[in-house]
Amino acid sequence: MSRDRWTIGLAVFFAAFAALTLGVWIPNDIETGVIEKFRRQISIGDAMAPTFVAAAMLVVGLIMGVLECVRPGAAEGRPRGLDGSAFKFVLRLGGLLVVSLLLMIYVGPLTVDVINGLGHDIGTYRQLRDTVPYKYLGYVTGGFVLVFGVTSLVENRFSRASGVVALAAVAVLVVLYDVPFDDLLLPPNSDQ
Amino acid sequence: MGFLDHIWLGIVAVFSADPVLTIAGIPISITITMVFSGFLGGIVVGATPGLGGPFAMAVSLPILVSIFGFDVDAMLPVLGFLIGIMKGATLGGAVPAILFNTPGTPDSLLTTFDGYPMTRNGQSGKALRVAHFSSVSGDSVSDIVLIVGAPFLAVFVERFLDFPEKAALIILSLAFIAAVVGANVWKGLLAALMGLFFAYVSTGQDNYPRLSLGIEELGNGFPVISAVLGVLIIGEVFKALEDMWREMREKAEIAEIEQSGDNKLHWADIRRILPFIGISASIGTMIGALPGIGSTLAATLGYATGRKFYKGDGNFGDGLPEGVASTEAANSAVSGANLIPVLSLGIPGNVAAVFIVLATETISGFNPGPDVFRLIPNQVNPEMVIAFGLFTMMIFANVLNWTLGGVFMRATGIMVKVPKQRLLPIVLLLTLTAIYVQETNMFAIYVTLGFGFLGYLMRKLDISVLPFVIAFILANRLEESMRQAFDATGSNPWFLFQSPIAVAFILLAIGVTVFFARNQKALG
Repeated sequence: MSRDRWTIGLAVFFAAFAALTLGVWIPNDIETGVIEKFRRQISIGDAMAPTFVAAAMLVVGLIMGVLECVRPGAAEGRPRGLDGSAFKFVLRLGGLLVVSLLLMIYVGPLTVDVINGLGHDIGTYRQLRDTVPYKYLGYVTGGFVLVFGVTSLVENRFSRASGVVALAAVAVLVVLYDVPFDDLLLPPNSDQ
Repeated sequence: MGFLDHIWLGIVAVFSADPVLTIAGIPISITITMVFSGFLGGIVVGATPGLGGPFAMAVSLPILVSIFGFDVDAMLPVLGFLIGIMKGATLGGAVPAILFNTPGTPDSLLTTFDGYPMTRNGQSGKALRVAHFSSVSGDSVSDIVLIVGAPFLAVFVERFLDFPEKAALIILSLAFIAAVVGANVWKGLLAALMGLFFAYVSTGQDNYPRLSLGIEELGNGFPVISAVLGVLIIGEVFKALEDMWREMREKAEIAEIEQSGDNKLHWADIRRILPFIGISASIGTMIGALPGIGSTLAATLGYATGRKFYKGDGNFGDGLPEGVASTEAANSAVSGANLIPVLSLGIPGNVAAVFIVLATETISGFNPGPDVFRLIPNQVNPEMVIAFGLFTMMIFANVLNWTLGGVFMRATGIMVKVPKQRLLPIVLLLTLTAIYVQETNMFAIYVTLGFGFLGYLMRKLDISVLPFVIAFILANRLEESMRQAFDATGSNPWFLFQSPIAVAFILLAIGVTVFFARNQKALG
């Protein structure tokens, strides 16, 4: 029986993360200790819970790593882990998500800037973020690219049908979340 | 006021508060309407491969909160909808398993073993009726155990467990969940520890948000809904998308099979399957009452026990109604019993229970736990009224299940034709939108996607996500219990080892971990 490199890798990762957390992160990023003394009153400090958790992570990581080295499990049923294809998929999906979120955030404000730049003073995007059609620009564009892009990625082709489905889906979500509620704002309008 | 008064007030709260429509002169309350809507939605979602009850609960919670608000009056309608989804999805999951050999939910996998052969034999109608009858029977048994058991367990916990014992009980529950879920105990423990660690970021009592790395947006910690939905829903969506991307649409066309066999459910059939339903419902209820053990194990054990018990012609797997009954009764019996640890201890035992707890944390006025069933002299305990309202809604959902469930269930076979590769990207956008409207900032979306990738990685590396989610939810309660126990024992650092009950819980936690670590291969 061979050792599972993913299990050993996980064990090393968690043990190293726990050691760094205990040695560096907790002492520098928590202002109270494991135990606090204030006017002769002893109480549990904010560092106690994370310290115990990190210590347990270190112990469990070490046990898991040592056990996998000493007594490796059967090869069948092991996780496939992350192979080259998985990395390729994650990169493409991640790229799509980044592009669609950027569109979602910036299409509305940029459109307003362009209209203002053309000499029509319509105000700032913040002033228009709850006004039709400006409030839908970012969500519809970003949402459409997200749904259509991910579908096309999985289908490995662009199809008119998936474009129509994506557009319909975004429209349904607008109807579901925006039209019936005066106090709800679609992304990204609440924090504009 | 006694228990009976609270039961009556719970029933009244469900049936008479805020009527929204009138049917034949009878006013129908908003809560009843919500249970009914959730129930219908749950059947449809359960019958759609790739979706499931937890997904529907996740995306509907923010909408429900937007509609009903955060006030205590919102609690019963919101919980009613979630309960309806839970019940409906359990039923709907059997539909694609029986008709198309495609389990709608993981626990329906075993339903395919006998359900689909029955369809091939031209008896899909009978298979669906057996699944419906068995599922609803199992669910009803489980609800009865919940309704009778949870209040007594809660009263016991409140009477005999103090702060140190409660802290030890949370540790035992987390150890148990980590040990029994998934193939590797150590990975389960690491998942639970990760959940605790993330939950401790930016919480605590000091003014400085601990472990926040100076990031301003993290000042209030990771939003619970982002972490939970990210790991549970988005992680699953990413993993399913990758699987489909790999498969590249190598999906065979679904062939229509003519259904010309006996498709009725006769009394003789019911008499035949009743013993199997009884055994499986008991197994499912017992398993459901333990935190962390899901309906998949219940279905497996129910099916295995039924197969052992079966002495008739043919074998399990050839298309026997007894096979369908054994599986469906067991996995449905988990759903009610899973709420026992929530209502009596405040500890969610499965994904559906996680969303019930999330709802109660979002809306004020109901904190599941032993306090819920505390009698206050000469006063009404509003939390107990809500708890009995919850039981009333479960009974009402069961009545819907018995009367209308079968008809709706048989009508949802078409859902399997919805292409998953077009559905899941919509689920992704829907979940992100739902989180945004609740949290109202893009940071919550980034956090959700981050936790989504974490959930995807965990699935790729065979690390269970359930211990992570439950630990994340319980983390602050555990820390609070520790602080209170420390103070209550006069700053004794050995507070966990002061009482025999707390010591027993800690020893049990160690024992469970060691036992499952030593036997994981055999159990797997």
